[in-house]
Amino acid sequence: MFKSLINVAARRLAGAIPTVLLLSMVVFIVLRALPADPLALLLPPNATQADAEAVRKALGLDRSIVIQYLIWLRDALSGDLGNSIAFREPVTRLLANSLPATLELSFVGLGLALLISIPGGLLLYGARGTILENILDVLVVCMLSIPSFLWAIFLLLGFGVMLGWLPFSGRVESGIVIPDGTGFLLIDYLVTMQWGYWQNALSHLILPAMALALGFSPLVIRVLRSSLLESSDDHYVTVARQRGLSERQIILAHMLRNSVLPTITLIGAQFGFLFGGTLLVETIFSYPGIGNLMVQAVRNHDLPVIQGVALVFCVTTLAINTVVDILYVVLNPKLRRA
Amino acid sequence: MSSSIPSSAALKRERPPSATAEALRQAIRSPRVVIGGAIVLAMVICAVFAPQIAPNDPAEQDLLNMLLPPMWAEGGSIDYPFGTDSLGRCILSQMIFGARVALFVGFVAAIGATLLGTTLALISGYFGGWIDRVISHLVDLWMSLPPVVLSVTLMVGFGTGVGNVILSIVLVDWTRFCRVVRSEVMVVARKDFVSAAKLLGFGNVRIILREILPSVAPLIITLFTLQVGIGIIVEAILSFVGLSVPAGVPAWGQMIAQARNYMYQAPWGIILPIIAMFITVLGFNLLGEGLRVTLDPRLRKRNI
Repeated sequence: MFKSLINVAARRLAGAIPTVLLLSMVVFIVLRALPADPLALLLPPNATQADAEAVRKALGLDRSIVIQYLIWLRDALSGDLGNSIAFREPVTRLLANSLPATLELSFVGLGLALLISIPGGLLLYGARGTILENILDVLVVCMLSIPSFLWAIFLLLGFGVMLGWLPFSGRVESGIVIPDGTGFLLIDYLVTMQWGYWQNALSHLILPAMALALGFSPLVIRVLRSSLLESSDDHYVTVARQRGLSERQIILAHMLRNSVLPTITLIGAQFGFLFGGTLLVETIFSYPGIGNLMVQAVRNHDLPVIQGVALVFCVTTLAINTVVDILYVVLNPKLRRA
Repeated sequence: MSSSIPSSAALKRERPPSATAEALRQAIRSPRVVIGGAIVLAMVICAVFAPQIAPNDPAEQDLLNMLLPPMWAEGGSIDYPFGTDSLGRCILSQMIFGARVALFVGFVAAIGATLLGTTLALISGYFGGWIDRVISHLVDLWMSLPPVVLSVTLMVGFGTGVGNVILSIVLVDWTRFCRVVRSEVMVVARKDFVSAAKLLGFGNVRIILREILPSVAPLIITLFTLQVGIGIIVEAILSFVGLSVPAGVPAWGQMIAQARNYMYQAPWGIILPIIAMFITVLGFNLLGEGLRVTLDPRLRKRNI
């Protein structure tokens, strides 16, 4: 099994390298088509033509696009993604500060999505053939019609502004020090045993993570339901019924386990959907992650940051896909033997 | 019209176009198709006849009546049924005109994504071999960036404007069609009637267009309908970030973004355009889901 795991990982990694290269090239070329001149933002208003040329040269903007890309690639490989035009900081530092926040948010969001969709999928399957199924089905279609950024606004208005139950801005109360640790606040405060801060960070996560979860869970509910429906005619289910197991036992002990695989595949394939949702959800909750960073960079025409964030989104999505593929092998006994 | 049992038995022997006609007859009987279709129709009417329906000029600023609540709330006015925004513009009129941008982008982008995705899927699934590998790799490559990130990046490169929004949606979402339609084409291409057509010496183009395309048409119609809803959401996201229509043009995403600054004093300004968007997307999703079940003979048989 260990061998096949290494095989899967190696195959995925070999496939991921050209993907990252090609996508970074696409992003590079697209952003060079930008109608606004990024130089205009860098220069003071009284700059002369000669100043402009000097900066252009320093940035390498006077070379051909292929050379520019190769220079960017060389720097990127040595861990230098350039400097942000608007924040006047290295892009890598901005990314290092905000990526953990986004990952923490996405993982908590994914966890909440599973908490909603596993009971949801079971309920929908259990209600098959009844009126309840129709009602739930329409409910799922309604949920599908609300993207996560609209959930974000609803949750913020309802639980943040009107009811005032939960905070809705930032990662922690302003004034609380963000520790130098993993960057995952829930882990950092846990390790240092600062329970008050830990609760504070968690309460800030709930609303944005819930928005991501509500946008993602209808997809999971449907896959779970349809894989449960498909396996309901399988031999092992018939055998279990003949052995006199109750329907509940059959579902929980046998069918659910078999539905895990298609659900995991979906989560892998659609993780980008959840991950991309952070763009607006973070902006709405002023949450300092890479989604928020990307939106700010777009508004500032901050090319190095846009490029860096796009690259990080791509690499992270591929990394998650690789992990999902490995999980698939671990959990699928048929592949384990192969 | 024949009774349902013999006709569904006949379906299996008959050629695809009649299956589509039968499926369409079925579709009209599905409540989802009817409700979804009615919502879509109502929105299309709003968009087309916006100048006639809207009570006010959406761009006109009434600076004496800023942030008015809807007419049923205290202090509301019958002149502005859904109230006014921070510049004293009629919210209802902006919502009605906003349907124009939403539906135009949704439909045109869906047509573009369908054409591009389906064409590549037909080529890829029918011919197989290296061309299939190239196209499939391209789809995989494209899908390894989150769709929202890809369309925002494209918009930064292209610059703002409705045309570019459509282009970026097409360039992002064709993969959805390509992947799903390709696997269906591969199934159909192995069917007997395709082999028969090949034996009769029909050309590839003719087989693709006359034998395979009609068989995958129900799937394409379903995906198209769902795609319009997705396009509307993406447009709202882009105009929320300020990458879509210019400032003066009423669009739902822009209304939501502007009303966000005043949501403490005037929450209706943000809730109403959200509801408009939700109902429209729901209409397309209901229609698409209804069509998916009724147009797909396998699902119809299971009667889900």
